[in-house]
Amino acid sequence: MNHIKNVSKKKAVSAGTAAIVVVAIIVVAAIGVYLTMVHSQNGGTTPSSQSSGTSFQSSTVTQTASQTSTTTTGLPATLPPETISETGSTLLYPLFNLWVPNFTSMYPSVKINTAGTGSGTGISSAETGTVQIGASDAYMSNSQIAQYPSILNIPLAISAQGVFYNIPGIPNTMHLNLSGPVLAGIYNGSITYWDSPQISELNPAAASLLPHQLIIPIHRSDGSGDTFIFTQYLSFSTPSWNKSIGFGTTVSWPSIPNAQAALGNGGMVQAAQQNRYSIAYIGVSYLNNAEQAGLGYAYLENRAGNFVNFSPENIQAAANAMVPNTPKDERISLIFAPGADSYPIINYEYAIVSKNQPNADVALVIRTFLTWAVLSQYGNSPYFLNQVHFIPLPQSVVQLSEEQIAEIGAQ
Amino acid sequence: MNPRVYDRIYGSATALCSATSILFIFVIGLVLLTYSYPSIVVNGIRFFTTVTWNPDLSGAVTTLNGFKTMSNASYGILVFVTGTLITSALALLIGVPVAIGIAVFLTEVAPPKLSAVVSFLVELLAGIPSVVYGFWGFLVLGPFLLQTFEPFLSEHLYFIPVFDGPVYSSGLLASGIIVALMIIPIIASISRDAMARTPKELKEGGRALGLTDHEVTTKIVFPYAKSSIFGSIMLGLGRALGETMAVAMVSNSAINELPKTAFYPINTMAAFMAQSLDSAFTDPSGMYVHSLVEMGLVLLAITMIVNVLARFLVRQGFISGAETVVRV
Amino acid sequence: MDTDFHRNASKKTLSNTIIDQPTKTWYDSAVTSNYKLRRLRDKFVKSFTIVCVVAVLYPLSSMLYMFVYKGATLISLSTITQPTIGSSSFVSGGLANAIEGTLLLLGIGSSVAVCLGVMGGVYIAEFSRNSSLAKGIRFGVDVLAGVPSIVLGYVGFLLLVIYFGWGYSALAGGLTLSVFMFPYIIRTTELALRKVPDEVREAAKALGSNNATVVNRLTLRFALPGIITGILLAISIGLGETAPLLYTASFSNYVPSALLQSPVGYLTYVVYVFSQLPSAEAHSLAYQASFLLIAIIVTLNFAARVLVQRFSKVT
Repeated sequence: MNHIKNVSKKKAVSAGTAAIVVVAIIVVAAIGVYLTMVHSQNGGTTPSSQSSGTSFQSSTVTQTASQTSTTTTGLPATLPPETISETGSTLLYPLFNLWVPNFTSMYPSVKINTAGTGSGTGISSAETGTVQIGASDAYMSNSQIAQYPSILNIPLAISAQGVFYNIPGIPNTMHLNLSGPVLAGIYNGSITYWDSPQISELNPAAASLLPHQLIIPIHRSDGSGDTFIFTQYLSFSTPSWNKSIGFGTTVSWPSIPNAQAALGNGGMVQAAQQNRYSIAYIGVSYLNNAEQAGLGYAYLENRAGNFVNFSPENIQAAANAMVPNTPKDERISLIFAPGADSYPIINYEYAIVSKNQPNADVALVIRTFLTWAVLSQYGNSPYFLNQVHFIPLPQSVVQLSEEQIAEIGAQ
Repeated sequence: MNPRVYDRIYGSATALCSATSILFIFVIGLVLLTYSYPSIVVNGIRFFTTVTWNPDLSGAVTTLNGFKTMSNASYGILVFVTGTLITSALALLIGVPVAIGIAVFLTEVAPPKLSAVVSFLVELLAGIPSVVYGFWGFLVLGPFLLQTFEPFLSEHLYFIPVFDGPVYSSGLLASGIIVALMIIPIIASISRDAMARTPKELKEGGRALGLTDHEVTTKIVFPYAKSSIFGSIMLGLGRALGETMAVAMVSNSAINELPKTAFYPINTMAAFMAQSLDSAFTDPSGMYVHSLVEMGLVLLAITMIVNVLARFLVRQGFISGAETVVRV
Repeated sequence: MDTDFHRNASKKTLSNTIIDQPTKTWYDSAVTSNYKLRRLRDKFVKSFTIVCVVAVLYPLSSMLYMFVYKGATLISLSTITQPTIGSSSFVSGGLANAIEGTLLLLGIGSSVAVCLGVMGGVYIAEFSRNSSLAKGIRFGVDVLAGVPSIVLGYVGFLLLVIYFGWGYSALAGGLTLSVFMFPYIIRTTELALRKVPDEVREAAKALGSNNATVVNRLTLRFALPGIITGILLAISIGLGETAPLLYTASFSNYVPSALLQSPVGYLTYVVYVFSQLPSAEAHSLAYQASFLLIAIIVTLNFAARVLVQRFSKVT
């Protein structure tokens, strides 16, 4: 008797809970799908709070846009509702995060995803078509272009990279002088201590402050445009590095036990902060973060033999020397520029985009965004670029970029 | 409808559903083999013996054995295999004694209420996602090891060869400890269940003969639960081999460097695969992708052998009433 | 003889019988010291086990403090309502997109895995328990359960995202997740069904229902708590997974506009990536995501346990 009662009670209990749980799963899945559909119809939740920081700018920008007709800037008045994705360079990522809220407040129907995953991913994803805009500090090599001939490399701005270190004894007002060969020695393990003669002789004033500690060189673990431009600097300035290791978004780093790797520029900042006596190459858009983390930066030796920092003037000097050589497809290295004040590690920030987009609407949105980005009254204005310590594209390059942008169309 | 026909349909439908397991395995194997075949052909045995991993992305595209590759590319997974094996070995070394200690605590030492509470806490440890472990390791464990524990080991225990050397990184120890934390709940809960199933008569007989508690445990309970405990260790090993995200966040991603002391950074196959795939298509010859997939194939082979062995041993435990389904 | 005996017996006076002074035998001292050693070893082992428990609970409490306590203090309503947005501190805002994405991916994954898993478990437990096909399927499930999550992510990426051309999408991520959850569900379903005593099946047959379907529906009702437990555990496992989704769903600050060609955000990605960004807002979002994950997983595990207790109380 008891057994039967328990069974029936249990059946009621278990059936009840079972029903509830199964219904819960289905309801959750349905909510998820419903939200997807709703958002796709309404154009989504446009984040309105984020423009509070840039509200002044956006109101003037929208005024300008409405006053001038579309013909003068070439930007359309409205865009079809589309979502496009950008991924790639962590060096460009902070600038994209400043551009996107502004652009989407001008064109509320457009949604742009941004992510900082490394230039290697930016190029890869643009090649495979999984994102619409790949961001990269590195241009595609000849063999990559041969493999993917319909991909464009479009510069959006000119950026730079610094070499940062974490040495507790040295105040951040003092900047060590480092040269390409010395950095190559650090990263291939031939220079192991901070008080090595090669470093001391470049820094007579700071020589007494250099500690007898192992240098911890930090490099990127992901495919990185920062690795590309840093190793190009090492290759162009140090023939032995060029022969043995070369440059690329990924290189075969020499095996030294104290080397570490970090993910993204952000990871580089955190790793350098956590490891005393470390040295890392970090893009200038992370200068504020690096300074907050207590890192100092170096003056690098340029081709003329002077030790310079990445002030806008020095970046501009290097740009002036290299920009005239920019070819039509705009794939060119700006590293190790000649000139007394040129900063040696500067580069174009590229948007890697395919000429063949799935449909005309997506192509239009991409073209509009990229044009908006290179125009000096919008994306290339000092308001944005000063926050990330970049310099704007010279007019000649803007022209070349716009010509490439015009090639983006639908299949 | 004729019940027999309905039966047939129902039977076939459920059979199809269960056969999807074989379909999935087939698909996984097919995709992996197809995408890794060029790498198997081009890299050959050197894949397993070389330390250098160099995709040579800025080189020129050449053809080797009928497949495109970069001119100076050399793909060797020795660093990653070593890292995987070291992490798993360290995780077992730390995890197995601690887990069995916990299992003994739960079954023999603790009163039932305390046992239930601690049991719940240990299973909580199993439910924490891998990335949260990695986050914790990145913020707490890594700095602690780097700044406090490893210098201590290096200064005071330098006579042990593995601790003899400067402190370069916390990668190896941090990875081992975190993976140990992840496999302890698996081993502890299965061992606890197995040990709890020991017939009381056997244990009481032991006590009657004058054995102390720990002797009852080691001489009576352990032999009885031996196969389940060993199976749970194999399951834990399977989990340790495949662990990806936590190790990626704490291992300091060594490349081209084999660890010589306990203070080196390491890299495991799973972590490297997780970090490298999305930029692998920048290789115009495609060999980077093929090599990564071959690494995945190697990882799959190792893990599969361990897991299948484990389940033969633990299956008894599963069938006879373990309510705990463990995350592996 | 008798006199000898009496003579010898009289020698044993009360004084030298074993009342005042126990006779010392050769094994007495050995037993005592050995016994002391064994008692010591016993205490040593017991304290070792306590040390083990403490050693494990310490990191657990550290993690709980960091993520549950700190995460709870950082969480606010805006976490659930605001999406993540790019900003000058890399990311800020809330986690609405990640939460919705997690629900969507889990919804798709568990729907597929539950259908295939429960039906499959029914087959190998009820219909053909010992046939070679069932043995093969069990072996296949064991193998599938052992596939590392990153390998599954690779296969999902190469097959669904690249080869089929679906792009980063909810469907690709959901299907990969379902392959991951499927072995747990099929295994627990089989276990739960096997635990149902045969008497139930025989009783149904004795009462006249001759087909496997009706018998099976009966045993399913009995096994439901165990099956639901398995589903809840599989969901909590799927919740904590990143590697299968890294390359199939990518990440998005928006709720996906379609099931294909549109990336999806999810909570574990937030923890993985935002912990590497050097800003307080990014870390705060990572803490909040960790808190949400742990809270949901604990709830699911707790619910599963409650069900198990109810189940075991009655059988």
